[in-house]
Amino acid sequence: MAKLYPGMAFTNIKSNRKTYIPYMLSCSLTIALFYIIGSLGSNEGLSKMWGGDMLSSYMSLGQAVTAIFAVIFLFYINSFLIKRRKSEFGLYNILGMEKKHICRVIFLETVFTFLITMAFGLFLGIMLDKLLYLVISRILAAKIPLGFYISTSSILQSLMLFGGIFLLMFLNSMRHIYRSKPVDLLKSRSAGEKEPKAKWILAAIGLLCLAAGYYIAVTTTNPVAAVALFFIAVVLVIIGTYLLFTAGSIALLKILKKNKGYYYKTKHFVSISSMMYRMKKNAVGLANICILSTMVLVIISTTLALFLGVDDSLKQRYPSEYDITCKAEENDAFDKSVQTLHDSAKSEGLTLINELSYRDFSFSAIYEKSKDFFVTDPGLYSNLSAMQKYNQLVTFVVVPLEDYNKAMGKNETLGENEVLVYSSRQELPVDTINVFDLSLHVKKTLTGFMPNGNTAAKISSGHFVVVKDLSVIDKMKKGQDEALGKDAERFGSWLEINYMADVAGNAETQKDQILAAYHKTWDQIYETNENAGDQGFNGILECRSSEVDSFRGVFSGLFFIGVFLGILFLMATVLIMYYKQITEGYEDKQRFMILQNVGMSHHEVKQTIRSQILTVFFLPLITAGIHIGFAFPFLYRIMTLMNLFNLRLFTFCSIGCFLAFALFYGITYWLTSKLYYGIVKK
Amino acid sequence: MAILEVNNLEKIYTTRFGGSSVQALRNVSFSVEAGEYVAIMGESGSGKTTLLNILAALDRPTRGKVLLEGRDITSISEKELSAFRRNNLGFVFQDFNLLDTFNLMDNILLPLVLSGKKYHEMNQRLKPLASMLGISELLYKYPYEVSGGQKQRAAVARALITHPKLILADEPTGALDSRSSDDLLQMFGRINQSGQTILMVTHSVKAASHAGRVLFIADGSVFHQMYRGNSTNEEMFQKISDTLTSMATGGGLHG
Repeated sequence: MAKLYPGMAFTNIKSNRKTYIPYMLSCSLTIALFYIIGSLGSNEGLSKMWGGDMLSSYMSLGQAVTAIFAVIFLFYINSFLIKRRKSEFGLYNILGMEKKHICRVIFLETVFTFLITMAFGLFLGIMLDKLLYLVISRILAAKIPLGFYISTSSILQSLMLFGGIFLLMFLNSMRHIYRSKPVDLLKSRSAGEKEPKAKWILAAIGLLCLAAGYYIAVTTTNPVAAVALFFIAVVLVIIGTYLLFTAGSIALLKILKKNKGYYYKTKHFVSISSMMYRMKKNAVGLANICILSTMVLVIISTTLALFLGVDDSLKQRYPSEYDITCKAEENDAFDKSVQTLHDSAKSEGLTLINELSYRDFSFSAIYEKSKDFFVTDPGLYSNLSAMQKYNQLVTFVVVPLEDYNKAMGKNETLGENEVLVYSSRQELPVDTINVFDLSLHVKKTLTGFMPNGNTAAKISSGHFVVVKDLSVIDKMKKGQDEALGKDAERFGSWLEINYMADVAGNAETQKDQILAAYHKTWDQIYETNENAGDQGFNGILECRSSEVDSFRGVFSGLFFIGVFLGILFLMATVLIMYYKQITEGYEDKQRFMILQNVGMSHHEVKQTIRSQILTVFFLPLITAGIHIGFAFPFLYRIMTLMNLFNLRLFTFCSIGCFLAFALFYGITYWLTSKLYYGIVKK
Repeated sequence: MAILEVNNLEKIYTTRFGGSSVQALRNVSFSVEAGEYVAIMGESGSGKTTLLNILAALDRPTRGKVLLEGRDITSISEKELSAFRRNNLGFVFQDFNLLDTFNLMDNILLPLVLSGKKYHEMNQRLKPLASMLGISELLYKYPYEVSGGQKQRAAVARALITHPKLILADEPTGALDSRSSDDLLQMFGRINQSGQTILMVTHSVKAASHAGRVLFIADGSVFHQMYRGNSTNEEMFQKISDTLTSMATGGGLHG
């Protein structure tokens, strides 16, 4: 007797292989992904690399997401499997097995599944881990340490997490078995179902939520506001998707059904009524697929764009190889630092080119249309909500004409109260800038401007304004100091002087020298000489090459997490689709037999099936596509915060990801629908 | 005039690799006149379901012909077959074959919708039929909301709504309680009196006793046939029982 149970458990798994193999595969894959992400996070070799610290912390974040997802996902699949096997358990029960015996069989099944998937998953994980480690090291351009790294801590974590999940699944199966009677168990799948009721209010709420989410996505023009609103928009769209899939679809079908002329047509008759039942059963699953697909697309397209555009971002953030910025009044210290940089560069054998120096003064304002005036006093627009502020705030970067002409090699002239303007994002809405007590007429709009690392000017609508001379800036500064009051110092309301320079030749190959010059300069200018009462340099010295590694580390880390989660969500999508097709197949079999009996031709039946299945399976993909379309400008604005201003690259990544995903989706559909037809035709 | 003629029908089932073969029908011939009510009786395995499937054009015979108003239905192409069945034949099944996603009205209208009729016309046909079958009140109910007898009446309405040349009924009382069975059989009688030709396959003596003629099938061939003449249903019932008894005791010699 004792030997009976393991044997039964084993044959059960074998005879249910159509549903169990995909289940076990996805368990294994989840385990492997969880192991890899944990192992990479705790990999010492990796954290020693430049930017590796950042990567590790991303990995642990990714691990947490994977864990949460694994719990929900595997649990969902398991209860699906158990529900399908209810009649099998009913039969055992009738044949004389007690519930505790059934539970014992289930327990053994769970243990077998656990052992097999764990072994396979960890094996796969360790294999892929090494591969990914090599890939990451290569991206970070680090020397590759030899040896095979197995993370025991990650193995332990995997064992604990998945042990816990399997225990939970076993308890859930037990709950299913104990709560049902044998007779119910036997006929649990044959009960007639009521036609779903149309829930108009829910459908309307869903529509509103979706519209609100889209509205936020489209109208939020400021990146900072976009970040803040992103979460709200996502929640609104998710709620909207669920409600529209569940209530909205049925409401729509009801409307179609009420239209007799439309409903009683050969093409629509069977489809509408079966779709109604299909949506009743599948709406939640389809909404899940839709949201997962959207997530996959968002994550992969954004992280891919960031990853590919890392050099772009770097150049946006650091327009030149070296830059020095400080208060214009500390002129001497500034000159000294620039000289120090020159010397250091020379001693390292570097030639500085594209040297450039100019003064600027920046302030933020909100344009008030009714008064045609730019308000700079934060006290005056504090009645606006934070979001409105973010959305309307513009940054002015003011440069004296003298510096502009020198830097750009131009010979512009300006009269009294005349300015030149260059806008980075949005055109200036006016011809005359009324700000403080000045009224500045825009003489000309410029098409190009000197490099500037001022991020604020790039994120919000930035306007670069060339004024006649420093006296105008003095007036502005006075006005700004009054507006800010005692916060003036803290908010950086002062005239700044910038110096920028590139290095002749290839920066990559001269990286060591560039860094050496940077560190040398750094050490000299920031040195505190207490005897001379010298506090050292107060300004900022930056070097692009020194940031390359951390930028790459951050972005490749993000990309890896993106790919990981993408694979995970994709797997979930495929699996949900697979199980959906199987269940649908068994349910539709009887229905289509009847249709053939009452005079529907084989061809017609096949057509009806096809149109329904196509609708059901491509609805989530199309909806995901629409979501992505609306999210696109929104995401782009957020990406600008990460210094990615390459719209073409991001567009390309998004469209490419969508097409690749659609192809993958199509293949999955094609494979699973073959399965479905097989079941229905039998 | 004979509406249906069955000539020398033969059906042989072979296993997939041609190993063994079973002869389900051998040399079956009979004809049905317009307006007749014929019952075909036989034990399980006698071949009556095979016969019905061939008459319904669901299956094709190995040899022989089936003529419906002179047209050989065994030679109709696969493409036309569904439309042919929809327009010429009406089916009543043992297990009703109603779609649970449709209410009774939509179930009844299904064949008309498939033929592409206008809603107005469908409604005109539906009304008198529903009131004749006593289901006018139930049209908006779903199959799981009504009794077996009511379901079968809806199925009969679905069979009749296309004005078929022939109604084929397969054990129509098989899943009904005795009261519902009686109702249904009386209804079949009335439908037949209005001129509808009915061919019913059954092994219920009671069901067969309502028919105008009974064909007995055993081991794949027509064994005997019996006309009602002027007998009442009760007398018919007695005669059928006697025949079946003699078939069970001595019939083995025959096939």
